Amino acid sequence: MSLSREDILKLADLARLELSEDELVAAEREVGAVLGYVERLKDVDTDGVEPMTMPAKAEGWRVDEAFPCDDATRELILSNFPARKDDLLKTPAVFTAPKK
Amino acid sequence: MERLNELTIAEARAKLDANEISSVDLTQACLDEVRSLNGSLNAVLETFEEDALAAAKQSDARRGIDGTRNGVLDGIPVVVKDNILVQGKHSSAGSKILSTHIAASDATVTRKLKEQGAVILGRANMDEFAMGSSTERSAYGPTKHPRDVERVPGGSSGGSAVSVAANFCVAALGSDTGGSIRQPASFCGIVGLKPTYGRVSRSGLMAMASSFDQIGPMTKTVEDAALLLSAIQGQDTLDQTTSDHVAFKADWREKLGGLRVGLPRQAWGEGMSEGVRSSVLAAVEQLKSLGAEIVEVDLPYVDEALAVYYLLMPCEVSANLARFDGMRFGVRKENLPLFETYAQSRAEGLGPEVRRRILLGTFALSRGYYDAYYVKAKKVQTLIRRAYDAAFREVDVLLTPTAPTTAWKIGEKIADPLAMYLEDIFTVGVNVAGLPAVSVPCGTSEGLPVGMHLTGKAFDEATLLAVARAYEASAK
Repeated sequence: MSLSREDILKLADLARLELSEDELVAAEREVGAVLGYVERLKDVDTDGVEPMTMPAKAEGWRVDEAFPCDDATRELILSNFPARKDDLLKTPAVFTAPKK
Repeated sequence: MERLNELTIAEARAKLDANEISSVDLTQACLDEVRSLNGSLNAVLETFEEDALAAAKQSDARRGIDGTRNGVLDGIPVVVKDNILVQGKHSSAGSKILSTHIAASDATVTRKLKEQGAVILGRANMDEFAMGSSTERSAYGPTKHPRDVERVPGGSSGGSAVSVAANFCVAALGSDTGGSIRQPASFCGIVGLKPTYGRVSRSGLMAMASSFDQIGPMTKTVEDAALLLSAIQGQDTLDQTTSDHVAFKADWREKLGGLRVGLPRQAWGEGMSEGVRSSVLAAVEQLKSLGAEIVEVDLPYVDEALAVYYLLMPCEVSANLARFDGMRFGVRKENLPLFETYAQSRAEGLGPEVRRRILLGTFALSRGYYDAYYVKAKKVQTLIRRAYDAAFREVDVLLTPTAPTTAWKIGEKIADPLAMYLEDIFTVGVNVAGLPAVSVPCGTSEGLPVGMHLTGKAFDEATLLAVARAYEASAK
C-alpha cells in the first residue's frame, strides 16, 4: 500500500515529529517501499495461529519498593534535565491551546 | 614480540596471572592504539583514560598483594557500545538528541564487568539508536572498515567490531536486535555472539526493540566470546525477561562426531555473492572433516522473517523512542509551546533513519491498521518460531553465511533503505525466534572477511560455541 501526503502528516503528528517538505516527500516514498515489502505477510495462512507474545516469558518480577538514591546519582539525574529550577524539572506550560 | 593490545582475553589472563604483564601496560597499549588509529577509523567516541588506568592500577594491586582476582576479566580492557550505560559517562546511542546525556547509573552488564575487575576503556560508535547495518548513521560520523577506510564496517555495532579488529581493546560488547553484533563481526573478521533472548540483562541498554534486543560479546576468538558471555549472563531483577535457565558453561569438543549441522534450503538460493558462498561452503567441508554430519533442512519463512522484523521492530521503536522528547533528558528546543517543543526537539535531535522507523511503527500501530499489520506479523512470528523448532528436531545447529556480501563501500546503500534492510536476511530470523547465533570468521573474498553464521537451540550456546571453536581451531 502507499501512503498519501495526508497520511504521513497524520503519522508525523501522532509521533510528534516535525517534517520538512523534503522529508515528507522522502517519507512517502520510503515508508511506502517498506510497506510494499511487508505486504507479503498477507499471503501467509495464519488461520488458528496465536500471536507470539514475547520470546521469553516474563519472570523475576522485582518488588516495588522505594530505595534510597545517593546524592551523586541524584545529581546525575538532575544534571540531565534540559531546563531546571533548583531541583525541579522545568517544562513548557502544558495547558496551552492545542495545535489543532 | 606480540603487542599487548593484540592479546585475546585468554592470553592476557594467562600473562597477567603469570605476572608477565601488568594491566596498566595492557590498558596503555590499547589507549595508544586508539590514539594512533582512531582518527581515521572513528570507532571509539570517547576513551575513559583516567578511570581506565585507575581501574588497571587497582587490578594490578589486587594481584600484586595476594594474587587475587575478582573474575576472569580482572584487568582486561573492554570497550562498550554507546547505548550501554556507564555511570557518570556520556552515553549518546550515536544520537544528537543525547549529545549532552550522562548516564545516571550503570547497565547491569557494566556493573558485572566492573565487579569482575574489567577495565572499561571507552564507548564505541554505532548507528543512531542501533538502527542501521553500516554505522554510517551515527550523528558522530561514520566508522570506517579497518582494512579499507572507504568501506563500511557493518553495523549497528560497527564501532565495537572495529575496536576489536583494530586491537583498540581486548574485547567489546555490542547489542543485536536484527544482526547488529553478527553482521559487523562478519565484515570485520571477528567473532560476534548474540545470546539467547533472556540470557543477558538488558537493564541499562537503551531500548530499540525490547522483544528482540540482546547484549553480546564481540571478540577475537570463540573462547573469548564464551568467557565474556559467562561474565555478563544471568537473571536480573531489573529485567523481567531475563531467564532463570541454567547458566551457560563452555563445553568444548575437538571432534564433531554425532553432531548434525543443517543447511536451510531456503537460505542457500540466490542473493548471496559467489565469494561469500564459496568461503562458507569451504567451512562446511571443514566441519564435515571434523566429523559433523551435514544435512539439508527446511526452514520456511526466510523472506517473511525479514518482513516480520521490519514491521514489529519499528512498532517497538516508535513506542520506545517516544521518551526522547526533550523533556527529562537530551536536547530541547526552547521557548516553544509544548507540542512544538516535542516535535522540533525530535525533528532536530533524531536522524532520518530513526524518524523513518518511528513513522513506520506509528503507522502499523495506528487505528485501522493494527490487526492487519502488527497482529498479523505476531502470528507469522509464531510460525517462524515453530519452523525453527521443527528444524532443531533434525539438527543441532543451522548454518548460513552471516551476510549475503562482504563490506560494501561507504554511501553505496545509504539512499535505499530497503536495500540496506535486505542485508539482514540471514540474521533477523534468529531475533524473531529469540535464539542464539554466532558469526565466526571463515576466510576472505577479495581481501575482505566473510562470516559463517551458526544458529543454536534456545539456551544451547554451549553446543553452538563448541562447533564454532572446533571450526576455528581447524581453520588456523
